[in-house]
Amino acid sequence: MTKDELREYIATRYSGKLTPLDLGRYELLYAADATGFKELARELYEDEQLKFDYLLNLGGIDTKERFEIIYNLGSIEKNHRIDIKLSLPYENAEVDSVQEIWPGANWFEREMWELYGINVRGHNNLKRFLLPDDWNQGHPMRKNWTAPDFIKLPEAGV
Amino acid sequence: MTQLRTEEFTVNMGPHHPSTHGVCRLLLTMDGERVVHIEPYIGYLHRALEKICENRTYPQCIPILDRFEYVTAMSCNYVFALAAERLASIQVPERAEYLRVIMLELNRMASHLLWYGTTALDLGAITPFLYGFRERELILDLFEMTCGQRLTYNYIRIGGVARDIPPQFIPKCREAVKTITEKMSDYEGLLNENPIWMARNKKVGVMSPELAIAYGVSGPPLRASGVKYDIRRNDPYSIYDRFQFNIPTQRNGDCYDRYIQRLQEIKESLKIVSQALDGLPEGDIKAKVPGVFKPPAGEVYARMENSRGELGVYLISDGTNKPLRVKTRGGSYNNLQVLPELGKGLLIADVVAIMASLDIIMPEVDR
Amino acid sequence: MTPIIASGELIVLFRWLHAQLASVGLPDIWVTVITYAVLGVFMFALLAVIALFLVWWERKISAHIQQRFGPMRVGWHGWYQTIMDALKLLQKEDIRVDTRDKPVFFWAPVLCFVAAFLAYVSIPFGDGLIVSDLNIGILYIIAVTTFTIISLLMAGWGSNNKYALLGGMRSAAQVVSYEVPMIASILTVILFSGSLSMVKIVESQTGHGIFNWFVFRVPFGPIAFLTYLITATAETNRTPFDIPEAEQELVAGYNVEYSGMKFAMFFLAEFVNMFTVSAIATTLFLGGWNGPFLPSWIWFLGKTLFVVFILMLFRWTYPRLRVDQLMEFSWKFLVPVTFANLILAGWMKYAKWHW
Repeated sequence: MTKDELREYIATRYSGKLTPLDLGRYELLYAADATGFKELARELYEDEQLKFDYLLNLGGIDTKERFEIIYNLGSIEKNHRIDIKLSLPYENAEVDSVQEIWPGANWFEREMWELYGINVRGHNNLKRFLLPDDWNQGHPMRKNWTAPDFIKLPEAGV
Repeated sequence: MTQLRTEEFTVNMGPHHPSTHGVCRLLLTMDGERVVHIEPYIGYLHRALEKICENRTYPQCIPILDRFEYVTAMSCNYVFALAAERLASIQVPERAEYLRVIMLELNRMASHLLWYGTTALDLGAITPFLYGFRERELILDLFEMTCGQRLTYNYIRIGGVARDIPPQFIPKCREAVKTITEKMSDYEGLLNENPIWMARNKKVGVMSPELAIAYGVSGPPLRASGVKYDIRRNDPYSIYDRFQFNIPTQRNGDCYDRYIQRLQEIKESLKIVSQALDGLPEGDIKAKVPGVFKPPAGEVYARMENSRGELGVYLISDGTNKPLRVKTRGGSYNNLQVLPELGKGLLIADVVAIMASLDIIMPEVDR
Repeated sequence: MTPIIASGELIVLFRWLHAQLASVGLPDIWVTVITYAVLGVFMFALLAVIALFLVWWERKISAHIQQRFGPMRVGWHGWYQTIMDALKLLQKEDIRVDTRDKPVFFWAPVLCFVAAFLAYVSIPFGDGLIVSDLNIGILYIIAVTTFTIISLLMAGWGSNNKYALLGGMRSAAQVVSYEVPMIASILTVILFSGSLSMVKIVESQTGHGIFNWFVFRVPFGPIAFLTYLITATAETNRTPFDIPEAEQELVAGYNVEYSGMKFAMFFLAEFVNMFTVSAIATTLFLGGWNGPFLPSWIWFLGKTLFVVFILMLFRWTYPRLRVDQLMEFSWKFLVPVTFANLILAGWMKYAKWHW
């Protein structure tokens, strides 16, 4: 489906669940609700017209006000793409795991938990991944995290 | 009659590997000679590139992302430049696009030649390693001529390329293409029909297309399983839609097919480089980009077909001169994730063969 | 009691020594012992030189196959590189794991080298240049080279390392299973030469130029030669059968815990073994020392080095077989082929379809 067809189709079928954002500069970007996301993901996976069976990327984002999670989905057969973003507050950030739908999400979610602290419910292996096993200095990718031995150098006039 | 008590034991295929895939630890649970479970432990090469990029300006991110996947550093430069150009709606001049395509495809060939050498080395054939590197030297000489570097280039910038090619680049490039085309028959003749090679690689690590799609596998392993998906065709970027090249696919998805797939991709890259050299126009090599690059606020996911798979960057800009988030995604990340599924019930020697055929580079996994 | 040293071009020295010692008036037993001791030292020196030469040669051949030069600095084209490497290995610390099985760990490399060395009692280096022409020559050689299996198992066990043990056991299994087709190939030649003595085997290949060589006696000769070459590669643990030594495989070989001179013993024993199996191939299939114009030992060395060259080419060309494929190849392919070949040869001799 072309981008316009896709936009129309989603506007009709998923009007309540996916709200379009105009921050996306190349692909269609939608915002979704974090609480019912797993069912929505399954619907997107099984929808005959959309068939989003290929998860390209799953990442955590820390805008300075809240957490966000981005899901970049694609379809091998239909050859179209969509980006979905969830917003989560800083406290008790939790999301359901989508690894039953796309098994490739397993490592992405594990990394997101480790670096951001977003809890992933239903994940089978939330253990230390990229950081050392005995890491106890918090979640590094958060914007308010500094390393214990961090020294701020003066800005070099950029 | 009592049952013989057997126990599973764990074997550590430790971070120090004789093969050059990088530092990756695989914990193998074995039942006798057969592998029951593989657990990859990664993170030995984690350099927090994404966090570093959040504190650097956009042009400063490009040499950082060189190290993201240093074997194909041109691709890493390019995907970031593509994302930034999409954010700021920059039109890249023609000559720059042609030069970019030439460099990207040369880099793809260099990466595949490295893969060829190390795969043969892992399975015991030591000589193809030297042959692959001999041809790779030709390509690295071309890179050194252009940007002064052999491995981490910092050449493809936002808006174009850093500097123009010197006049002796084009004849040397054509010569390199000709030499590699001739030597391809050497590589194929050495290992393709070799019964030992086929016995080690056929029917080992079979990946069905459904498994590949479910795990997000991309690149040559996906195409070797029969899925005809290449980002250069399915989601064209740069000027790839102007070149004639095929997308080979294989049928079985075992190690042998992945091997054949990459050799065929080298041949396709050679075609693209020849066509690009033929059509190289004159002109600017860089668009007018402001000195302090501040793209408007927005988000974009740029993806390209790397020699290992899909290389993607999700770039978020908040209007300042530093990116808010650079989420990188490398092909080896998902390809390594599928390794435990492929290795069940095989011998350790097969695990080595599968890891070699998936062409995993650890800096992409760990960042 | 006269020592059993036959006539030839180079043994004048030993005759002179023997005559000198006898003329001095030593009792016979001492003359024999001293002569044999000198002969033993001479053979040891010869083998050491051969091993050093082969190591250098392998490095040069592998380099030229890979389009590079190999050792070039240490002497003309690096000819004394191996001597320097051996001296370096002598200086290395002899790391001994505390929990090793001390006598087993110590004697394994010794046994390996001794077994490799003992085979040279009955290998003809030329016309009459043989230490002792045993009338069970080839049987003795096969029996003695089988001792290396024991040393591999000893090395694996004595290291107190489960990977070394696994590697040693795999190696022993490989060598044992490739003995059977090797002996069957050799028996094909024995049928036609009518004797187990190495000298008689070579003599049965004289006449009619090179067409009397066993390798040219179609149809069983080439098949036996090829199967012998394959089993010889497996016996000496060379690629494509070098699973026990492969660094890229996870389970390292039997010699993983050895360092310094003990490691050098295993290493040199491998090259001496390679020369032994090539010498046997030359004697049995390629006509031994036969050849016009040049002295017989030059022909022998030339032919043996040719076979060694083929073995080295194998190593630098082929990938390596997996352990189960290796065993399958021996038992399911080589054993039937060699036995069929043997039956064919026997039938041809019985029906007198040969010259």
